[in-house]
Amino acid sequence: MNNELKKECKPKRGVSLYSYNGDYGVSMNLEDMFSEMNDIGARGLEILANSHIEGYPNPSKEWLQNWDRLIEKFDIVPVEYGHWVDSRLYQGREITSEESLIMLERDFKIANRLGFTVLRTKLGVIDDDLTPVTNWREFIKMALPIAEKYNVRMCPEIHAPTLLKSKMVKEFVEFIEETGTKYFGLNIDFGVFQTNYLEASEFGPDDFIMPQGDHSEVEDVIPLLPYVYCCHAKFIKMSEDCEEVTIPYEKIIKTLIEHNWDGYMLSEYEGPHAKVTGYASTQIRRQHIMMKKLLGE
Amino acid sequence: MLEKECIQSRGFRNVVNQGKNTGFQFNIRSLYYRGLWLSQLRPATITVDGETFSGNQITWTINDITYEQEEMLTLGNVHWGLLEPATLTVRKEGGLKPGSHDIELTYQYSSSYFPPSMDTLLSSAPYNRTLILVQ
Repeated sequence: MNNELKKECKPKRGVSLYSYNGDYGVSMNLEDMFSEMNDIGARGLEILANSHIEGYPNPSKEWLQNWDRLIEKFDIVPVEYGHWVDSRLYQGREITSEESLIMLERDFKIANRLGFTVLRTKLGVIDDDLTPVTNWREFIKMALPIAEKYNVRMCPEIHAPTLLKSKMVKEFVEFIEETGTKYFGLNIDFGVFQTNYLEASEFGPDDFIMPQGDHSEVEDVIPLLPYVYCCHAKFIKMSEDCEEVTIPYEKIIKTLIEHNWDGYMLSEYEGPHAKVTGYASTQIRRQHIMMKKLLGE
Repeated sequence: MLEKECIQSRGFRNVVNQGKNTGFQFNIRSLYYRGLWLSQLRPATITVDGETFSGNQITWTINDITYEQEEMLTLGNVHWGLLEPATLTVRKEGGLKPGSHDIELTYQYSSSYFPPSMDTLLSSAPYNRTLILVQ
């Protein structure tokens, strides 16, 4: 029994459907993406509400029935529901806390219906340092009892160029500690640990290239782990022998295992040729060979 | 399934009202990775064979409802999903002649999670395609 518990207490594998965005609607539908996950044993699912829910924010009964069927058929665990509080929804002004709350509650209900318990809550930002809107504390506090009711945890994503040791992360942690809430936490994007960068020549003309910048040390994640409900297993390039060439995965996964973190790592491919048919699938398959190895699966 | 390009080939045709061509239309899909609220879209400009159309010369039809571009800026609760092609209809007396037409489309969109200085940076317009109109 003890052995079994110990065995289970380590990170789990999943995929963010964001990764397949070049194929979605063109050569892959929801069922194809779930089937792909099933092939590679990645049970944890992240969807983006605005992208992957047909008829969002009012999916039809038929769509919901199909969702339930596919989740069961492919043995998928709904993990993280990506959604946005679009502060600049209207040109020329920021939305109010009350308007933000309405957006949040709308997504809580859908996430709960679809079986998700963690939300990747993307807040609007006000400057080049990605500082969130000034009223975030107000509307998040207003939303906490509703999040509890729908059993969902709002998690801003800590994403490069933000560092783990930064004012922003410190303020999120202070908010969690002050309120004592279990319904607000963090999603760490492994891109914050990126140490190497690809040559510009490796990218295609339409590819998004993340500017180079400072990175966080892997051990900086340790004090945050109690608040981390899931991670984006961001990656840029898997070599043919299944090594990630820009992000120190071995150290990251070792650290998560050592500290008994047992959330989901959701693959997020953001490298070259992401829009080329089938490219992301190949990259994700290689990444899961690496993650399986590092997890001892 | 949709075609990979933003501008779709199916749906390119003249618009006929009371026996007269009053314009033309084509379908597009969003190449952004997430769906958008209509108020996040910025008005489109369309150039066909060198002639440019903008503002109230263009309407968007999404899920069978047609919107004027100006009106869309106020619609923060109507969503345009990734699997839903939008029909852009251009008012042009007489429509277009049968044959090949070079279409260029520009529209942008807001991303609140990007710095305000880069609000519409992700919009990768313009989109170009040459399509054949039959009628």
